[in-house]
Amino acid sequence: MIGNGKLRKIWTDKALYLMLLPCIAYFVIFHVWPIAGMKLAFYDYRIIGNDVYVGFKYFKELFGTPIFGQVLRNTLIISAMKMVLIFPIPILFALMLNEFANGKFRKAVQIVSYLPHFLSWVVIAGIWFEFLSPTTGAVNELLKLFGFHAQDFLTDKDSIRWVLLASEAWRSMGWDSIIFLAAIMGVSPSLYEAAHLDGANRWQIVTRIVLPHLYIPMVTIFILNVGFIMNAGLDQVLNFANSSVNSRIDIIDTYVYRMGLLNNQYSFATAANLFKSFIGLVLVLSTHFLSKRLTSKGAW
Amino acid sequence: MPARRITWSKALIALFLSLVTLTMFIPIVNLIARALSNPGQVHLLRGYELWPRGFSLINFQVVLGNPIVGRALLNSLFITIAGTVLSLLFTSIAAYVLVQKNLVGKTPIMIFLIIIMIFEPGIVQEYMVVKDIHLLDSLWAMVLYRMINVYYLIIMMRFLEDIPDSLTEAAKIDGAGHLTLYTRIVVPLSRIPLVTIGMFYAVAKWNEFFKSSIFLSSPKNTVLQVLLRQFVVEQDTTALVGASDLLKNNNIAQLDFSALKAATIVVAMVPILMLYPVILKHYTRGVMDGGVKE
Repeated sequence: MIGNGKLRKIWTDKALYLMLLPCIAYFVIFHVWPIAGMKLAFYDYRIIGNDVYVGFKYFKELFGTPIFGQVLRNTLIISAMKMVLIFPIPILFALMLNEFANGKFRKAVQIVSYLPHFLSWVVIAGIWFEFLSPTTGAVNELLKLFGFHAQDFLTDKDSIRWVLLASEAWRSMGWDSIIFLAAIMGVSPSLYEAAHLDGANRWQIVTRIVLPHLYIPMVTIFILNVGFIMNAGLDQVLNFANSSVNSRIDIIDTYVYRMGLLNNQYSFATAANLFKSFIGLVLVLSTHFLSKRLTSKGAW
Repeated sequence: MPARRITWSKALIALFLSLVTLTMFIPIVNLIARALSNPGQVHLLRGYELWPRGFSLINFQVVLGNPIVGRALLNSLFITIAGTVLSLLFTSIAAYVLVQKNLVGKTPIMIFLIIIMIFEPGIVQEYMVVKDIHLLDSLWAMVLYRMINVYYLIIMMRFLEDIPDSLTEAAKIDGAGHLTLYTRIVVPLSRIPLVTIGMFYAVAKWNEFFKSSIFLSSPKNTVLQVLLRQFVVEQDTTALVGASDLLKNNNIAQLDFSALKAATIVVAMVPILMLYPVILKHYTRGVMDGGVKE
């Protein structure tokens, strides 16, 4: 029950609620409405008349489809590869950069390496297609130089996931190193001085002083990444996809898009989407609270 | 930090960092060189070269002179500018309201927003909603789509919480209403977070291609990233030049498609390159200058 005092407070603050109104309207239209619409996963879609409740029919169909198993596996494999193999790269990058005092070299590396984070996946794909081109690409020129055969990595089933991995690392290593670089700069100068007086060498300083300062951001970021395991990178996959490699990089998001908007199987696609969104919600919430507990920093 | 000798390990690290950075620097500069090259000589340009072969603006003339590209460029600019302005306006208004002390309903609203931040709506349903509100194939769909990012809203709130009460209290005693407080005190004091968050909104709007390709179906409403995807990813070069231009202009028969593609990518990168110094200045200031970033 809302007490009289609260009602009076709401009345005095009416200007505030009015200011908030368009924002709430936005959230209701663009978020609540579509989320509520996902109940379609439990209904048969009807163009005319009311949708018919069918219970878990579409979920049973979904889990009975071999393609969905493959799509789920692809999603988890690509995410896990990124989570494990890309994770240390920004940390190493920050540690290496930290070996150089502020100056032209360090600044130049920073300016160039932060840039790819801001390019769209369309542009990055354009750059990488050139980079990996079997005829003129730099990678194949190098391979040929060492006596190997040129390869078309983009249409090779066995290498396409590594292309996703490499291009993601290329895009994010600089930008994602910022948080670690900031943590390194939080190390008190007196610690360095003390280590120096004790005769510590560079390697000892890095492993005994700098690295321990990175444990907390490392744990936070790793845990939070687990929360996003259902997102293998839709924008990236859409741009690197082609018919020769689709079976290896078809992920839940591309599957939902194809089944829902290209094949018009609304209920079926919504069931797949709801499955993904629900697991995502549970994972993000649990990893947030776990991280909050362990490192006092969460996703928000 | 104490002075250090140049050691082998340090030289190796420098070499490694340089190589990594060059994998980013060379392809981007090479694209620009390719776009500026003379179409007749561009086939001589190797993937690692940084300087154009010959010099010509013909690639940009053709790309920008193509009405489809020109239209897409204007559409992208409109969505980015209008979208960023509205996003900033409503994000900061919501943040202002939600940092008010003793606001009735604040906790349930925050829980609601956090659930919204995490739970992704279905793509089929988003499409249906945009259709139901009659914004399908309207640029406004992309202006309003993802208008308020809850994560940025929370960042904005953290910043506003740090504005001392004394500043707003004095104005309140003078009889200033919330709208006045917002426009006269909060906005001027929040320039840095507004610029920073605005950059991120603008980059996201400019780079969006998946939802644009779904919500905007007619050619006159297409955006640059969607068009670029046709050229670069789907290798559909007919739209790049346009059949009418091919007949009109004999020069085009001699154009190099790789150079035209490069020019289109460069056009799509220019706004990002223009915003980039501002991003570096604001967002990474602490890290770039070696100070502690809070």
